[in-house]
Amino acid sequence: MRIECQHRDEHSCRFVLSGALPSFANSVRRAMAAEVPKLAIDSVGIYDNTSGLYDEMLAHRLGLVPLRTEEGTYVPIRECTCEGQGCDRCTVSYTLSVEGPGMVWSRDLIPNDPEAAPASGDIPIVKLEKGQKVVIEARAILSTGKEHAKWQPTTVCGYKNYPRVSIDAHCDGCGACVDACPRRVLHLVGRKVEVDGERLEDCSLCRLCDKACLATGIGENSAILVGSEPDRFIFTVESDGAIPAPEILRQSISIIRARGEELSRALSEIAEG
Amino acid sequence: MAASYKCARCKQRVEIDVNVRCPFCGHRILFKERGAGIKELKAQ
Repeated sequence: MRIECQHRDEHSCRFVLSGALPSFANSVRRAMAAEVPKLAIDSVGIYDNTSGLYDEMLAHRLGLVPLRTEEGTYVPIRECTCEGQGCDRCTVSYTLSVEGPGMVWSRDLIPNDPEAAPASGDIPIVKLEKGQKVVIEARAILSTGKEHAKWQPTTVCGYKNYPRVSIDAHCDGCGACVDACPRRVLHLVGRKVEVDGERLEDCSLCRLCDKACLATGIGENSAILVGSEPDRFIFTVESDGAIPAPEILRQSISIIRARGEELSRALSEIAEG
Repeated sequence: MAASYKCARCKQRVEIDVNVRCPFCGHRILFKERGAGIKELKAQ
């Protein structure tokens, strides 16, 4: 099994996973979306709210603000020694106190731990008119996307099979397929159609080229063969800013490994009787 | 305990006994005041 990284920065990551089963590719995707823990606001104490939004709506909007999460800094509240009371090891507190007129931004959330500040300060929460006021205390905890989507560290997280496009020898080079392809994967070289190696990964397997070729009256079989490699996957992962995208991948792999080790230990215990 | 209201016109504090009417200015639109406690909510 191999992972080739094609692009990576803090916000997004694109890589090719090869030599893996579709079930493994899917488990990587699911682990990235639903198993990697991150911080999100879970409970909100509202002291004052004279804004146009209901308290519940305001609390919901605060819950969706991505908060920077450093791995290992906090523990899930269920595993904490405070037994769900909320302490410095499992909970981050935020205060928000803004008076109108003006917009309340996510940067107005003041954390007790500066490392756990909102990933972006430019998220609008509520607009206040003159004399309106919002005074809130919020508590964030660590959890996973399995519990609620606000704990999902990824925004985009998906994969597709690696495309395989080949041109058959009976191609007459009419160029109908080149015009039909919306992703411009094919191009004409003289009187010959060729696959553009750099753009092959953009192919969405729509088969419009295949249909265009058959429509020219070439015969029973199209001159273009469009398929995909069953054991090679192109992944695209985008982070909401809480955890860098390559870090999400790294953490998801260690989660899968830990799960595998746990399963193998359980199985060997059963085998030993 | 009777809830506290505020008159929409004269902004005086009003308590409703029989009629929904401000005893100071006679206005009939009253706003319910927010309670003094902290409202605890789940953010979801």
